[in-house]
Amino acid sequence: MDSAPRTLEITVLSAENLRLDGKSVKKDAFVVVKFDSLISKSTKADHEGGSNPSWNQKLEMDMPIHARFIVLEVQCKIGSGNRVIGTAMVPVSDFFGGYTPVNYLHFLSYRLRDARGVKNGIINVSVKVKGLAVSGKNLPHYQISSSSSSSRPTWGLPAVEKNYPGGVVTGVPVWCASRA
Amino acid sequence: MGGCVSGDLKGGKQAIGGALQRPTEAPNDSGLNDAVDFFYRSRGLHALYAQIELALSASKLLDRDITSKSDPMAVVYIKKKDGKLEEIGRTEVILNNLNPSWIEKIRLAYQFEIVQPLAFHIYDVDTKYHNLPVKSLKLEDQQFLGEATCVLSEIATKQNHSLTLNLHNKNGHEALRNLGTLTIHAEEIVASRTAIELTFRCSNLDNKDVFSLSDPFLRISRIVETGGSIPICKSEVVNNNLNPLWRPLHLSMQQFGSKDNPLVIECFDFNSNGNHVLIGKLQKSVAELEKLHREGSGANFISPSHRGHEKVLKGQLFVDRFVERDQHSFLDYISSGFELNFMVAVDFTASNGNPRNPDSLHYIDPSGCLNSYQRAIMEVGEVIQFYDSDRRFPAWGFGGRTPAGTISHCFNLNGSPSGFEVEGIEGIMAAYETGLRNVALAGPTLFGQVINTAAQVAGQSLSDNNNKYFVLLIITDGVLTDLQETKDALVKASDLPLSILIVGVGGADFTQMEILDADHGCRLESSTGRVATRDIVQFVPMREVHSGQLSAVQALLEELPGQFLSYVRSRDIKPFARHGT
Repeated sequence: MDSAPRTLEITVLSAENLRLDGKSVKKDAFVVVKFDSLISKSTKADHEGGSNPSWNQKLEMDMPIHARFIVLEVQCKIGSGNRVIGTAMVPVSDFFGGYTPVNYLHFLSYRLRDARGVKNGIINVSVKVKGLAVSGKNLPHYQISSSSSSSRPTWGLPAVEKNYPGGVVTGVPVWCASRA
Repeated sequence: MGGCVSGDLKGGKQAIGGALQRPTEAPNDSGLNDAVDFFYRSRGLHALYAQIELALSASKLLDRDITSKSDPMAVVYIKKKDGKLEEIGRTEVILNNLNPSWIEKIRLAYQFEIVQPLAFHIYDVDTKYHNLPVKSLKLEDQQFLGEATCVLSEIATKQNHSLTLNLHNKNGHEALRNLGTLTIHAEEIVASRTAIELTFRCSNLDNKDVFSLSDPFLRISRIVETGGSIPICKSEVVNNNLNPLWRPLHLSMQQFGSKDNPLVIECFDFNSNGNHVLIGKLQKSVAELEKLHREGSGANFISPSHRGHEKVLKGQLFVDRFVERDQHSFLDYISSGFELNFMVAVDFTASNGNPRNPDSLHYIDPSGCLNSYQRAIMEVGEVIQFYDSDRRFPAWGFGGRTPAGTISHCFNLNGSPSGFEVEGIEGIMAAYETGLRNVALAGPTLFGQVINTAAQVAGQSLSDNNNKYFVLLIITDGVLTDLQETKDALVKASDLPLSILIVGVGGADFTQMEILDADHGCRLESSTGRVATRDIVQFVPMREVHSGQLSAVQALLEELPGQFLSYVRSRDIKPFARHGT
């Protein structure tokens, strides 16, 4: 997996079968897409969709260098606040680093689970990895061809998943036996 | 069809007949299976059958529910040679209605030369099942309302293609009470070339509710020559709104006939007791709706006539969006340069039986009689050779102990260490026999590795071009050892240009395979929480092909066009422009 920062085009398509407190969600569901608490974007709320809302909204986000997951959080506007209906984690390896071309349009769907871990619907998105992020500055650019010869070394991931404030790590990449 | 989508708060409020839940859902306008059609035509067999769809309606059904009326659904079966009934389709559930006119149509091939006895069962669906997809409903749990039988040619040969039958009890006994009647209308399916996306909006609708505002929805019907009308779709319900805007409706030419065919558009106020109140109706053809859109003008609804006078209402219908799309068919893509590439994987597990034993599914008969695997390869081969022009087929085996001594779940059938391709069907047959000589049957039965390898081939081909679609044929005798492993592999492969046909040989119980062929409502889910993007599996039991109940061609090609189209359409891939000949 190359460690140059990329721009992602995430289109939040729709969700199915959302429930809150034992009842079908009535309206105003929206989705927060985030890598961590600092980088997040939200869709608009769907006023009419009920428990099967659809947004079809495209969000562009820069994927941090060592990101491993995108977090999709479906929330609902209730009264003056928001309630979290369900969350899904999208592994970056599902759309990056495999044997499909880098700019392939991936249609992905995930099981949502509520705060207690109980299944609560499905979310449908599409993800496309675009070019290098504009804010990449002069970061070193490790390229791996996207065809999978499994004997190639895969780049390791830092042991601690913190958001790098933009510093450059130089040195020998870490060998990691498994792809993330 | 789609996933476990529930309707809104109570069943019955969702759109039917015109809504696409997800871009990767198999389109329902691929009614004419042109892959099958083309194959038959190439052999001069086109005069022998027509593809038709049945529209059902019933009247005076028995009232089974205590506090409300029955919620009927119809299930259609074809009666097989041994008398057993095989389900070919079911309608949606209509709430609280003893005179339902179902929107969902049932498709089947009308074969002129054979007798096709059909059976129709009507059920009252219990309220607790209302939010489930119709396909997943277990009929034993529902209340039986009546049944009728007839032969398909009876319907098709009537002048108005409609037949009305009295419903009776199971086993054909006359009921003590009148169970009502069922009307079946048959129509030939034509290739749907055009699809229209319409967004409707209304203004100033009359309020029919007492304590709040109307909850309007639209129902669109097509007028048939005999004067009656057949409903083609309905929108979702918008709550509490006299100026509603509905989600876009997608209609195919199969549904509306032609752009000049008059359509009846009715606007109802939804009531949960099923007594929807008609707010108003109007009649417009698709061409007239296009005009409304272009001019930005509205059409007034007419109120149902009382005392012979029809009143023009204040409420108006607007067409906010009208998009016409050319729907390319499966054949359009194939003939424009899209290639189908077939791959084969053969089961080498011990459950097939020792190949030296004549009872084994892998027994090679010296007299030349083909075993189950060879027959499957030949019959399937006839179809795949027709569509795969380069005749080079990757061929693998799984579940066997290779000469190296280890059990492999994906080894090259031809025994070659480097290449897995063989040439032609004869190449597959030769590699199969080579495999049997060199590989010992072992186990367990696992598909995961073969599916992952096929997915890799499909994924890697995308770097070179995007005009290839892959079909992996897994020929197996039985039951999977690890269903979840297979589901995981299928989910990972579900977003690639790949379909998987599982061909079952022998007499095992293949119920597991039916779970993988997600026709029964639920999308496959991996152990990591990812859900399949689309249904890419189809299962064909060879014993049904051999007993004559199913033609290999129809079985294999049944879902392929839909799965192929769901892939290309979701990515807006069009057939390649013809280069001048």
